[in-house]
Amino acid sequence: MHAIKALDDFDRLSLTKDNNNIYSMKNVAIIAILVFIISSFTTSKRVEALIKKEIKAVFKVETYVQHPVIISDKINEKLPLKILDTNFFKIENSANLIGYYYLGKAYGKADYFDFMVIFDTDLMISKVKILVYREDHGGEVGSKRWLKQFIGKTTTNTLKYQKNIAAISGATISAKSMTFEVNKLLKAIHILHKNQQL
Amino acid sequence: MKIIKVSLIALIVSVIGYSQENTTSIIENSGERLLGHNISNSVTIGGYAQIDYNEPDGSKVGKLDIHRMVFLFGYKFNDKVSFISEIEYEHVEEVFVEQAYIKYKASEYMNVLAGLMLVPMGIINEFHEPPTYYGVERPNVDNYIVPTTWRELGVGISGRIDNASLKYQAYIFNGFKSYIDGVGVLRGTDGLRKGRQKGAESVVSSPNFSTKLDYYGIQGLRVGVSGYFGKTQTDDTTIEASTVGVSMIGFDARYKYNNLELRGQYIVTNLSGTEDYNTLTGQDLGSKMNGLYAEIAYGFELKGEEKITPFLRYEKHNTHADTEGSLVANDAFDRNEFIFGLNYKVADGAAFKIDYQLMNDAVSGSDTAKQFNAGVAIWF
Repeated sequence: MHAIKALDDFDRLSLTKDNNNIYSMKNVAIIAILVFIISSFTTSKRVEALIKKEIKAVFKVETYVQHPVIISDKINEKLPLKILDTNFFKIENSANLIGYYYLGKAYGKADYFDFMVIFDTDLMISKVKILVYREDHGGEVGSKRWLKQFIGKTTTNTLKYQKNIAAISGATISAKSMTFEVNKLLKAIHILHKNQQL
Repeated sequence: MKIIKVSLIALIVSVIGYSQENTTSIIENSGERLLGHNISNSVTIGGYAQIDYNEPDGSKVGKLDIHRMVFLFGYKFNDKVSFISEIEYEHVEEVFVEQAYIKYKASEYMNVLAGLMLVPMGIINEFHEPPTYYGVERPNVDNYIVPTTWRELGVGISGRIDNASLKYQAYIFNGFKSYIDGVGVLRGTDGLRKGRQKGAESVVSSPNFSTKLDYYGIQGLRVGVSGYFGKTQTDDTTIEASTVGVSMIGFDARYKYNNLELRGQYIVTNLSGTEDYNTLTGQDLGSKMNGLYAEIAYGFELKGEEKITPFLRYEKHNTHADTEGSLVANDAFDRNEFIFGLNYKVADGAAFKIDYQLMNDAVSGSDTAKQFNAGVAIWF
């Protein structure tokens, strides 16, 4: 009953908007809070599920296992970014190596964002995906079509923003930073390959 | 009143629910937090500045000015919640809050925002950091037609659809004020500009709706369409003529290919009820305003990050594109301009600029006003 009465009140508030204008801003605040509450039910295992989904889609497999790639400190010192047992994995299907993936971070204007890069066994990029973007600005880097540009790049390629990777107006900082990170990754993978680590 | 109570209870419940999720977090006072190593992860400090030298050709003397200096402070509470604020010093002496809003990441596809925010209209109002545009001063369309820096208090949502390369924004904002203490503040020469409330004890009589869609699925290209609809605010709602209806629509495009950069925008504003408003207030507010500009720039790379970019821009804008009733359109408000110059980028976020403006209006026989500008642009 209360709820119905509340809705009645609400209707009346909306209808009297023009005569009692002060109510409309109140309505807005109420709606905002309701949207806010409704929208806050989100899943927490999203990222893990996303990684699995991407790997399965890229390699067209139903199941896979992953193992961290262990790189010695000595070799890590030579790399432009650190390869740890938490950020770089080999992917196997029925005991056959099918590829690798890397979990990285890049910085936008005020916060970092998380991305993944999937490589095939020839160390060519098969997929790049933004996993978590936190800031309100610069999230354009998540665009599927923009990220497609990285596919097919190999460890001998050098990536340059606004040259072989197209610019995104309005998201320059994030897009540049993303290009820079993937370029560092390619260089690191190249060194690992040369040192017979992969 | 019931609905307010219901939502308050709902809010409290959700807050309790939320805090239970975080019982493991350690409570620190700000001193401990400052001493802690995680400060760099939660606090963001940034800013931008525009320092100008303007010299009109002719008899007037030149002017040196710290046009604006803005400090950004952001704090990230957790992965979902952050606060962004910008404090602006304009011409050294005037202090404004340019932005102050909380962002709540409701899902990967939607942020909820509340506070003092920028109205998304055209390019410059949202992307106004001096190194991001060419010319010492902001384009004049983004002064006369879009009253940059245009910010109001409100709530909204924004987000992106990655598969479609689409960004959306939608807000309910407090609108322009048109009538305060018996005086009408909107006028013909600069339209809505004097009506910005900037979040300072702003009057609210009816909320306004603002939205923008951006598409960036074609490499190097970004196109946007913006809309702003509502009514101006008055402190006396019994006088119907003290407000005007506002409907503003904008189209913008930016394209980058290697060293070539193109950008342009078109904004059109229709105002309703201006005849009554002008009769009441004695003002000369137009019923239609429009403006456009087109810009071409080509960069030459020097050593390292350094880049020198000549640019050329044409602007045309008219705050009296149409008038209601007996008000005769003032040709002096039908302005156009050519501006060309150089942008010498010395670092990402730092540039020296010089340019030359040729400004004219539609008054027959009027002289072209010329101005030389030089400046420094900083963003970090």
